[in-house]
Amino acid sequence: MKQAQFEAQHAALWDEVAVLVKGRQGDPRRLPALYRQLCQSLALARQRGYSPLLTEHLHGLVLAAHRRLYGTQPERPLTLRRWLGVELPRRVREEWRLLLLACIAFWGVALAVGFLVWYQPHWAYSWMDWQQLNEYRQMYDPGHDRVGRSGTGDDVKMFGFYIWNNVSICFRTFAGGLFGGVPALVSLVYNGMHGGVVAAWLSRDASTATVFWSFVVTHSSFEITGLILSGVAGMRLGLSLIRPGRFGRRHSLEAASRRMFPVLVGAALLTVLAAFFEGFWSAAGAIPPAAKFTVGGLCWALVIGFFAFAGRRGRHAA
Amino acid sequence: MLDGRLSLLTPEGVSLALVPAGPARRALAWAIDFVIWLIALFVFAIALRFAIGSGGLNEGIFLVGLFVSYWGYPVLCEVYFGGRTLGKRWLGLEVVRADGLPVGWRESATRNLLLAADFLPLCYAAGLVSMLTDPQFRRLGDLVAGTLVVYSAKPRPRQAALDAAPMPLPFPLDPEQQRALIDLIERAERLPLSRRLELADLAEPLTGLRGEASLERLRAYAAGLTR
Repeated sequence: MKQAQFEAQHAALWDEVAVLVKGRQGDPRRLPALYRQLCQSLALARQRGYSPLLTEHLHGLVLAAHRRLYGTQPERPLTLRRWLGVELPRRVREEWRLLLLACIAFWGVALAVGFLVWYQPHWAYSWMDWQQLNEYRQMYDPGHDRVGRSGTGDDVKMFGFYIWNNVSICFRTFAGGLFGGVPALVSLVYNGMHGGVVAAWLSRDASTATVFWSFVVTHSSFEITGLILSGVAGMRLGLSLIRPGRFGRRHSLEAASRRMFPVLVGAALLTVLAAFFEGFWSAAGAIPPAAKFTVGGLCWALVIGFFAFAGRRGRHAA
Repeated sequence: MLDGRLSLLTPEGVSLALVPAGPARRALAWAIDFVIWLIALFVFAIALRFAIGSGGLNEGIFLVGLFVSYWGYPVLCEVYFGGRTLGKRWLGLEVVRADGLPVGWRESATRNLLLAADFLPLCYAAGLVSMLTDPQFRRLGDLVAGTLVVYSAKPRPRQAALDAAPMPLPFPLDPEQQRALIDLIERAERLPLSRRLELADLAEPLTGLRGEASLERLRAYAAGLTR
């Protein structure tokens, strides 16, 4: 068959598909049948050696129709809720070894460094210089009107800063995990060390101790958990590269990222939540420390309880 | 044929060709996005200054905007605008899944978060090494998320049938040669005159003519093949 005949015979079909793939007009239920006919057109055009322009045109149409047909996502309105309520705590519990490692990297280092500074204060200077330490002391001085901030930090400004800075740290910790998990671990150790030094240094002074602990107790429950979770997700990526098991390395990476995605979303949301508390609650001087400690304790219990018990009942996803 | 095309076999038995895009073009798309991002931030900052004046509120909203635009802009573009940020749209690139389908939230978020890993140790060195060693130019984020950056097919206008009087070929040509002949005639309008004549001269064994006359003869053969 000559090309002109072929084009005349099928032009109506091609035009209809071209309209359908744009997705505005036409009856989408006709697309599957039309798509199969179009595939036949393309195969014939290629096999009969019709002009490259025509083959290219048909190829473009087939590609668009293929995407439209197979790329359609089923509506899943409850995905996010299921991810956060069920998958997130389950995945975290499944990764208990990495969680333990991450907790040791953060809390272990923080405690070790903290006790060292508590008993031998001069060690603080080997991690931070005296200007920084002095700045921290002024931030948590009881006479300071807004605790935990240098200068006259405004609530919204600090909220913006926490969002930008802390969530980005969380994301970078995850991404760094790709290189064998080591950068994620380093990030956890570094943040633990920093926290340990500052906490011990400020606790030595009775005047700053209450202010400091009442400031950090609430938001740290979300922030540190978020950081540790992103570290766990990052290390899982790195480990899947080191020990891919029965997969090839690329498939193992892909599978790990798929499994760890809910954990990463959870970590990001926890860090954003922490920024809210840190910006608008922790620094409020009007709230008495006792109230802050109570709410902080509740938040910690909530976080630990969530990861220990949530999602235990119900169907296990494949 | 030796080219960079990646061929995907569909369930219907036709193969779809995707052309992965290389590091240079992708870097250019990234640079365009970066400049657009800087300009948008600048405009945002000025608008904020006019709307609520300077102060803590202004800085706070600016930082939230910085966060959302930095991490969210590529993801939103890829999910809602066919896998294309503005820079990619300009250069005719798009992000697709390894099976050629559009990217979803998970793939897009993963590949863009891992830009931070591609950046290490500095200036996207890890991403560049990964792209240069991978046959489909995937950076680390693409490998983890299972995505590709490909050239998006630009629809070329189809031409009306040839108006020349059809003539039979003096001797049979195989399908590959026929296709080359038709391709030449379809592209001839967009070639400079001297190049057109040069190509027509090359066809002397087929047409027995040279120059403009040979081109006319080729057009007649092509018409004979297609009509």
